[in-house]
Amino acid sequence: MKEISFRNDVLPLKDKLFRLALRITLNREDAEDIVQETLIRVWKECQEGKEIDNVEAFSLTICRNLSLDHNAKLEQRNVAFDEDVHDQPDTTRSPFEEMVDHERFQMLNALMNSLPEKQRTAMQLRDVEGRSYKEIAEVMQISESDVKVNIFRARKAMREKLQR
Amino acid sequence: MDYKYIEQLLDRYWECHTSEEEEQILRSFFAQKDVPAHLIQYAPLFAFAKEAKEEHVSADFDKRFAEILAEEEHSHETVRTQARTISFRKRIAPFLQAAAVVAVVLTIGGAAERAIGGAHQEEGTAAPVVANTYIRSERVAEVVTPAETKNEATAIAQSDSMSRVQVGVDVQITEN
Repeated sequence: MKEISFRNDVLPLKDKLFRLALRITLNREDAEDIVQETLIRVWKECQEGKEIDNVEAFSLTICRNLSLDHNAKLEQRNVAFDEDVHDQPDTTRSPFEEMVDHERFQMLNALMNSLPEKQRTAMQLRDVEGRSYKEIAEVMQISESDVKVNIFRARKAMREKLQR
Repeated sequence: MDYKYIEQLLDRYWECHTSEEEEQILRSFFAQKDVPAHLIQYAPLFAFAKEAKEEHVSADFDKRFAEILAEEEHSHETVRTQARTISFRKRIAPFLQAAAVVAVVLTIGGAAERAIGGAHQEEGTAAPVVANTYIRSERVAEVVTPAETKNEATAIAQSDSMSRVQVGVDVQITEN
């Protein structure tokens, strides 16, 4: 069992974790907080000498669960989550966003962000991060066929938007 | 140029039948400048997937995280030191318990032997004392000693057993 090095195996995952947290929470600041918390939790497991088969899947799972908890808390506080997304969009643009062809990218990004969480998470992990169906199933704690169904629906939605 | 292969891949992509490698092929294809007219509508989707991967944490993330990690490392070390102190005492406890058990068993065994051995005393035969020493229920030693008197039997049982004891001692006084 290969020993997990936090510095070499876990810390480099930060951007991947951030992209997932951002896709779920739709808020840059919250996503970064979640990444920090995820990294600390994984660090603690490493300290305890826990044997982790796939540290990436493990980290992504924690990240997603923290993101979902975050969203749930917002809902509980009677902040209408949907309203939050549309009325007060995260207008702070990262330098990266300034660079790319914003119109098309923003259109697809917004479309993807409007999909149900399972669909956009599954598509994020597959189309952006290139994870296998097996791994995505592990992270999302659903079956592989469920993963495929969600990705199918997400891709279909994106396709229909492009075909209009 | 024949785009049949790409078109097939695309059909399978919508059906979620493509592998990760095949999806990478699609992304590379659509990243080219000369994408045919009948396929161009899909280019933004594959460009989006590629570009979305460029997203990353803010510039000061590393610095902020290093501070948080340092705090965690410090508090974690404090907890660990406390745990080390406690576990030493906890580690001795089982041996103290085992010694107590041995003392009780031998005392009872001795008392029982005195009761049983009374008959042998009269006949003049020795009551063999069989002391089996067990380590985690595996018998590791058996001592059979003829004893002249019941007091001697008790003494032998005690001395032999004590030299080997680890966890449990089962003292049986057998009758002939």
